[in-house]
Amino acid sequence: MAAVTAGGPRAAALRLLPLAPAVLLLLAFFAGPIVWTVWASFTNAALTGAAAADTRFVGFANFARLLADPAFLDATVLTAVFLLASGVVGQTALGLVLALLARHRSAPVRGAVTVVVVGAWVVPEVVAGFVWVAFLEREGTLNALLGAVGAAPQNWLYTAPMLAVVLANVWKGTAFSMMTYAAGLAEVPTDLEEAARVDGAGRLQVLWHVVLPLLRRTLATTLLLVTLQTVQVFTLIYVMTAGGPGGRTTTLPLLMYQEALRFGDLGYGTAVALALLVVAGLFSAVYIRALRPEEVR
Amino acid sequence: MTRSVSSPSRAAASAAAHLALAVLAAAFLVPLLWLVFAAVDPRASLRARPPSGLTLDHFRAVLTPETVFVPVGNSLLLCGGAALVTVAASVLAAYPLSRYTLRFRRPFLYTVLFATGLPLTAIMVPVYSMFVQAGLLDSRFATMLFLAASSLPFGIWLTKNFLDGVPVELEEAAWVDGASAWQSLRFLVVPLLAPGMAVVGVFTLVATWGNFFVPFILLKSPDRLPAAVRVYTFFDQYGTVRYGELAAFSLVYTLPVVVLYLAVSRALGGRFALGGAMKG
Amino acid sequence: MRRTPISLSAAALAAALTAAGCGASEDDPDTITVVYQDYGTFHAADTLFRKVKEEFEAAHPEATVELRPIEAPAEDYQTQVNLMNGSPAEAPDVIYEDTFTINQDVEAGYLAPIDDYWAAWPDAEQYHARADAAVTALDGHRYGVMLGTDTRGLWYNADLLERAGVAVPWEPATWDEVLEAARAVKEEFGAEVTPLNVYAGTPAGEMASMQGFQMLLSGTGDTLYDEDAREWRTGTPGFLASLEFVRAVYAEGLALDPRDALNPAVGTLNNEERIPAGELAISLEGSWATQSWIESANQPWPEWADTMRFAPMPTREGQDPGATSMSGGWSLALGSASTNPDLAWEVMAHALNRENATLFAVEGAQIPLRDDVASSEEFQAADPTPDAAADLVDVTHFRPAYGDYPRVSLAIQQAMEAVMLGDATPEEAAAAYADEVAGVVGPDNVREG
Repeated sequence: MAAVTAGGPRAAALRLLPLAPAVLLLLAFFAGPIVWTVWASFTNAALTGAAAADTRFVGFANFARLLADPAFLDATVLTAVFLLASGVVGQTALGLVLALLARHRSAPVRGAVTVVVVGAWVVPEVVAGFVWVAFLEREGTLNALLGAVGAAPQNWLYTAPMLAVVLANVWKGTAFSMMTYAAGLAEVPTDLEEAARVDGAGRLQVLWHVVLPLLRRTLATTLLLVTLQTVQVFTLIYVMTAGGPGGRTTTLPLLMYQEALRFGDLGYGTAVALALLVVAGLFSAVYIRALRPEEVR
Repeated sequence: MTRSVSSPSRAAASAAAHLALAVLAAAFLVPLLWLVFAAVDPRASLRARPPSGLTLDHFRAVLTPETVFVPVGNSLLLCGGAALVTVAASVLAAYPLSRYTLRFRRPFLYTVLFATGLPLTAIMVPVYSMFVQAGLLDSRFATMLFLAASSLPFGIWLTKNFLDGVPVELEEAAWVDGASAWQSLRFLVVPLLAPGMAVVGVFTLVATWGNFFVPFILLKSPDRLPAAVRVYTFFDQYGTVRYGELAAFSLVYTLPVVVLYLAVSRALGGRFALGGAMKG
Repeated sequence: MRRTPISLSAAALAAALTAAGCGASEDDPDTITVVYQDYGTFHAADTLFRKVKEEFEAAHPEATVELRPIEAPAEDYQTQVNLMNGSPAEAPDVIYEDTFTINQDVEAGYLAPIDDYWAAWPDAEQYHARADAAVTALDGHRYGVMLGTDTRGLWYNADLLERAGVAVPWEPATWDEVLEAARAVKEEFGAEVTPLNVYAGTPAGEMASMQGFQMLLSGTGDTLYDEDAREWRTGTPGFLASLEFVRAVYAEGLALDPRDALNPAVGTLNNEERIPAGELAISLEGSWATQSWIESANQPWPEWADTMRFAPMPTREGQDPGATSMSGGWSLALGSASTNPDLAWEVMAHALNRENATLFAVEGAQIPLRDDVASSEEFQAADPTPDAAADLVDVTHFRPAYGDYPRVSLAIQQAMEAVMLGDATPEEAAAAYADEVAGVVGPDNVREG
């Protein structure tokens, strides 16, 4: 897209002018707080208590404490599980399946599926939390349905809390993946598939060898955005389980909230937040390497 | 259709696909049933069962200025405003990012994207101090701008990719004719980019509409709080006993987003077009 | 390493801008900001301060009382107030403060001592001496005036106990007698009635720690914290005995099913549904439980007085003083950033006067600390708290009011949860607790055994 390069430094500055509102907004609201977050993670900053009056630089103490804290290690594993199960496998696989299934269907069928799936997506996070609490509670809908086939009722939020929040997040987030894959699939030329089919390839073979490679860039970008959103999920889990029972759904954002705001330990809480960024970064690096979204087709 | 009739295996595959779609759609629908049933059931409980009767009492109970109208109005102000600001700033920013060779383009995009990968809850403490010092606490306008800023990275990313899909040749022709970059942006690019802008707007609205934490920290006066905060405190205080009202409140609160989504997707010809925006 | 100074100075600059609050406060000295909680069934503070605002502004035309009600549960309320206190321009003048957080906030420099105001205040003599300790910080200064206090004990359904063959009025003298009554209820009603509620586990949060565990521990003679030696205690016989009681209650099926006990809304469900429906016989609960049943409650249950009675929680073996209790209490405190502390104190004093203290005690189901309020006919007539509960202030205990307590409390909740679920024996849970506490406060600040 390299269109214009002519002009002096003034022209160059002028060309960058449109970036100004966005950059100013980001700098104004995020630059200070982000620098502060990094700074705080090296201090004993606190919301109250003696450390609030006399905040000190503590070096890497918070990070050393992180690595020795079983709650942090558990939360990191849970975050990775939540991300893999709900973000990568759940939303991506289900989104892709829905997009593929709906692909050659009639407009009304496609429309109906889209409305239902997107319906879950537009439900605000807080409400989505209530809806799933009501669905999974001991008195809830799922037990009523299972009771009809003779299964004993249980409080799913208690017996299978991680599964519960994963399902809720898949339910809430699949629409995004479905829409991006549907858009990607719309650009896959059908004659390529037909040609492969004529050569005797099966349905799955065509999907694997022809369609998916063409979706690679879409896949990588979607995974990247889904990952950055999924590692941050707070409200949904907080409303459904508040991290319990017994910390079994305490992912890093919930741990961060508990440490920084509930216990008022800002230094440690911000260290957890930075660790979260590392987790997101690791996953993103994997997609970027494996799927190379930058590569020119 | 003629083909599927002529080929039995295709017909079977099509039937299987329809069946699978129906099952999946049902799975997405079932959790929502409770919301609808409980909202009109005079004796609502957690169980989604066909209502024991029909009542509008729950709606009547929550449709008051302080429970619904003022908070939803505030939500429209905060999230609608944030969506407009995000769209405008994203289009402006995406233009140079898409059209010129800039050495810092990739680093810029990734930095912005990752910086906002920090959970918002983490940076709310410094953001709060910043708002206090600037005298912006309890200001709906500043809170709106903050929400816009938090949606910007995503907005810029999407818009830039949409813009990459708009051919540059038209603009080049316009430049040759002496049009300024500003003119070509306004009269050529924006109309072509309209669907993408609508998508970004809806994304921002959906994401900010459900955010209760940011306004909870940055706004103080009860009459300035958006519905997300009201619905959360309502659930926390009465959720275990007033199921019906909670369900009715949730429905009313969700409605504006659904209406907006339908309107936008209608205007885009029934398809929520993401084509071209997802290619890195 | 070359870049370190640059990044450091950038960080310092940002920190100075965002955190330090360099700008002078723009506070109008005639405006007094009052921050308080207004949430759920608790609207007593809102009622009180609306009245105070109206009266005070009428009497002092130049003054403005600015109300900052915060609609959030206790922990979030604390977070919000801490945020406000951390930013001088936003810091309130008068704070509705849990006495429990006074030490932390004093250490943080958020509160101003009120010794001089107190000494000159004629009403001070009305205050019971026991209210002093809770508002006096470790530095020996007084930082608040208590609005009211509460106690905890056994609320029981006399009707159910009678039918189960337990003599009413029920006055258990030991832990065993509490368990015996619960077993009798179980025998009589089976699954229909939950015999005994003892809050436990992390979802119940501070309720589990305070209403549950510490109501037991305080009856054993052991403590969480040794005030004299200034150290935390672990591995005490009392700690183990308390966990053993929790184990017995849950293992014998005397308590709520764990999946119901681990519902974060268990308190609301108990008081608004299970107790009125006659599904819960005995509940170890706060003296303010009546708040859920009075006319202005979410689910009024005006007949509560026909069946519900209050009995003190006995000590373990009935050792002196025979009964035990835990108390919390809310106070009014003066913000250290106040630009006009004299006026702020006047607002406080007005909110604490006899008439207003009476109003707050009645509306908030609180036990008043002013003698002239407690003995007034006006209060006696409207008092929703049972005398048996009010009398417990003589034997009550307070939580260790230190910054580490919230984490210690979480460790207690985790120990209870492990025991109630059968994941750990009381011994194992007590050992895990000891490790956890040593990690939180540092091994030097703990004495084991």
